[in-house]
Amino acid sequence: MSEQLQEVLKKQKEQLNSSLLDKDKKEEEIVQLVGFMVGREEYAVPILSIQEIIKPIDYTRVPQTPPYVLGVFNLRGNVLPLVDLRIKFNAPNTEQSEDMRYIVIKDKENVAGFVIDQITEAIRLNEKRIENPPETLKNSNSAISGIGKRENSIITILKVDELLKRDF
Amino acid sequence: MEDMQEIIEDFLVEAGELVEQMDQDLVELENNPEDLELLNSIFRVAHTVKGSSSFLNFDVLTELTHHMEDVLNKARRDELKITPEIMDIVLKSVDMMKELLEAIKNDGNDTDCGVDIEDICQKLQMAANGKELSSSNSIETEEPNQEIVDSSNETNEEEFDIDTSAVEDEDYSHLSDEEVEAEIQRLLQEKQEEKEQKKRTKKSPIKKEENKKEIVKSEQKSSASKKETPAKKSPNKASTLEQTIRVEVKRLDHLMNLIGELVLGKNRLLKIYDDVEERYDGEKFLEELNNVVSSVSMVTTDLQIAVMKTRMLPVSKVFNKFPRLVRDLSRELNKDIDLIMSGEETELDKSIVEEIGDPIVHMIRNSCDHGIEDAKTRVENGKDPKGRVYLKAYNEGNQIVIEIKDDGAGMDPEFLKNKAIEKGVITPDEAQSMSDKEAYGIIFKPGFSTAAKVTGVSGRGVGMDVVKTNIENLNGVIDIDSKLGEGTTFKLRIPLTLAIMQALLVSAQEEYFAIPLSSVLETVRISKNEIYTIGGKNVLKLRDEVLSLVRLSDLFDVEKVFDSSDHIYVVIIGLAENKLGLVVDGLVGQEEIVIKSMGEYLKGIEGIAGATIRGDGRVTLITDVAAMMKLASQVDAVISEEEQTKEVVKNSPSDYHILIVDDSRTDRAIMKRALKPLGITISEATNGVEALNIIKSGDKDFDAILVDIEMPRMDGYTLASEIRKYSKYKYLPLLAITSRTSKSDRLRGIEVGMTEYITKPYSEDYLMDIVSKNIKLPQGALS
Repeated sequence: MSEQLQEVLKKQKEQLNSSLLDKDKKEEEIVQLVGFMVGREEYAVPILSIQEIIKPIDYTRVPQTPPYVLGVFNLRGNVLPLVDLRIKFNAPNTEQSEDMRYIVIKDKENVAGFVIDQITEAIRLNEKRIENPPETLKNSNSAISGIGKRENSIITILKVDELLKRDF
Repeated sequence: MEDMQEIIEDFLVEAGELVEQMDQDLVELENNPEDLELLNSIFRVAHTVKGSSSFLNFDVLTELTHHMEDVLNKARRDELKITPEIMDIVLKSVDMMKELLEAIKNDGNDTDCGVDIEDICQKLQMAANGKELSSSNSIETEEPNQEIVDSSNETNEEEFDIDTSAVEDEDYSHLSDEEVEAEIQRLLQEKQEEKEQKKRTKKSPIKKEENKKEIVKSEQKSSASKKETPAKKSPNKASTLEQTIRVEVKRLDHLMNLIGELVLGKNRLLKIYDDVEERYDGEKFLEELNNVVSSVSMVTTDLQIAVMKTRMLPVSKVFNKFPRLVRDLSRELNKDIDLIMSGEETELDKSIVEEIGDPIVHMIRNSCDHGIEDAKTRVENGKDPKGRVYLKAYNEGNQIVIEIKDDGAGMDPEFLKNKAIEKGVITPDEAQSMSDKEAYGIIFKPGFSTAAKVTGVSGRGVGMDVVKTNIENLNGVIDIDSKLGEGTTFKLRIPLTLAIMQALLVSAQEEYFAIPLSSVLETVRISKNEIYTIGGKNVLKLRDEVLSLVRLSDLFDVEKVFDSSDHIYVVIIGLAENKLGLVVDGLVGQEEIVIKSMGEYLKGIEGIAGATIRGDGRVTLITDVAAMMKLASQVDAVISEEEQTKEVVKNSPSDYHILIVDDSRTDRAIMKRALKPLGITISEATNGVEALNIIKSGDKDFDAILVDIEMPRMDGYTLASEIRKYSKYKYLPLLAITSRTSKSDRLRGIEVGMTEYITKPYSEDYLMDIVSKNIKLPQGALS
């Protein structure tokens, strides 16, 4: 193989890499989230971590699990765990409402469904408006990645990998 | 470099197979020392491996095989007699070859692994020289040998090729860049061609070897004799080989997954067809639909079997190493043991074949060491001094059975029990209640060994425990049968495949579970008073066995919705040598299920092996029989006791509780007034749905339900049939109170399970009478 050709290839690769990096940088400033209600509080997760949002369907209880693990459900042929965030976050368990949804959240390896009371909206938030969780919360609840400040409310942003991690 | 890696991988696969073959041939050779054909083939293997490894610069391996080749070559030409001692050395060197190959696989070279071949090479050399004192050094004898062999045996020719390859390496350095480029191109192309050829027919390893050589050699003029070699070689080998292609296991796994989806779809289709059939009975299109459904279902089943078959391997893959194992063992233990194998062609799923090797090794070791007595004892007992171990594989239904039988001493259950008590493996109490079969099962307990002294073979008390775990992981069952003085038989029953299986679906309260059918021994229906309690545990006496019983709903903390009736269903599950009776509330049926993982999040839940999707789209959990057995010992079940506590509660009329379901407030008021003198507690519901929810919630226990027929949302008929779905409410009095008096209405009422049919208007006394009769109110309470 000629050295010239390799040189050219190498340069191309570098260019590609750097352009990708630029892109990342621009998008880092605006974070896109999906907000939802659990009890009376509003939470959010990054929009890209959401696979889909579905209406509640039947699930099967799995024994030997904590109460917040409701069981498993069938999502088009895949068996996924179902976690009730209302129980997990000690939110008052409101009556079954029409707005209740399962949000199916995924990371690289895992995917699971989470029961929430209501989807609010898709949120675009400047990264500068997201603060680290207060010290007092940091230890007790590691699932919080940050607090987003909006015009007239604040929103708890959750860590996807913590949500999907088995903690029992 | 990638190409090189590929060549090495090819080499490893090939060499692995060859060495396996060699192992077998050598043991065979010991029995037929005169078989020249066998010797030749062994020699060729050593030679081939030597050739390839030197080409790939695995010097240690080359050196080792070179020395082996020496010995074998002499034996082949009748200059050396193969004695057991020499055989030991040769076999030892085969083991080293295996080690080296393993090292190459892991590290990419054979020098770092620390396998020391010097000693063995010396021994090989001595063996080679032992009979032929004329040549002082085997290396020297090598050259003349080659020339002699050259004309008669084609394989030796490679020796030259290797030499030329070394020369060639130097050649390359003189070439200009372009020439090198062109050369690489050409070599790659040739490699490609070779591969294609390989795909078409699985060639004899030696032929492939030649081809590789040719790539390197091609710079030189290819000799005419060289061309002839593969032609001469292949006919006799190729004729016995089938047409095959190698496929990545990953692809087959993917295919298997897809089939799994298809099976689920099929189940779903069958279920829908059933529903449709019920609804449109007699319609013409049903027949057509039936045709389609059944043909789809048949094709799916065939397809599933076909794909399963592609993953099947004959058990001979595992069995092949056993003759060698037994041979080594018999020498080590100083016993004369014959291994008689049959059914090697029986096929099993690849993943299972890989798993059963170790357990069988342990069991054979066990049979040789503990089972077979030494020659002296055997003769004293009037047996043939030669011990026999039989290894047999055969299909039985959906399972494969592997039988390991010896004609040794057999097992003494009393001796086992005493030994186990001594070692603290079981308590004397446990020993008392043990059957012979259970006593045999002791040998699978961790920390138990009956061998008087620890030998290299056994006695450490680890092996059999591992056997049990491995077999259990495969959903297998171990069956032991032994007769003192005559021998012991172990039967391993293993399912054919792991991905799709037959399961028994059972219900526990309102939940469903799937139990692998391979672990289900039988199902029985018993009455509650057949259950005994021993030491706080429920047991069932079934024929001559005593089984511990546990309720499935207790194991899995199923929410209690209703009581089971007097008769209960017991599913008897067996795993390895253990048995357990599982009390379930209903048997749903047998179904083919596809195992789905529940992901990292829910992995390893005790007692649950996975999940499956049923025909109706719902998820059903698959039980892990091994874990259930473990869980069962922790559950303190009280199946028969709870019934008694129920009986005592009712001592005054107000303890009796009835539910009135009627949409009209006036009607409810009339009924209440009529029943007031009874002094019983009365609840109300305004329609079927509400009533059903009250009943289902289980907060109140009703003794009878008065049902109006015409109601909004859910009528009385539907309510009655819903209630009857619960086995707990099978005998709950349901009293229809209606103004519908026609015969067909009455008939319908009986159909859905109404106990009484009261027509309006009724007299208060009549109603009171009927109600008190149905709730079995004590007469004295009526005052």
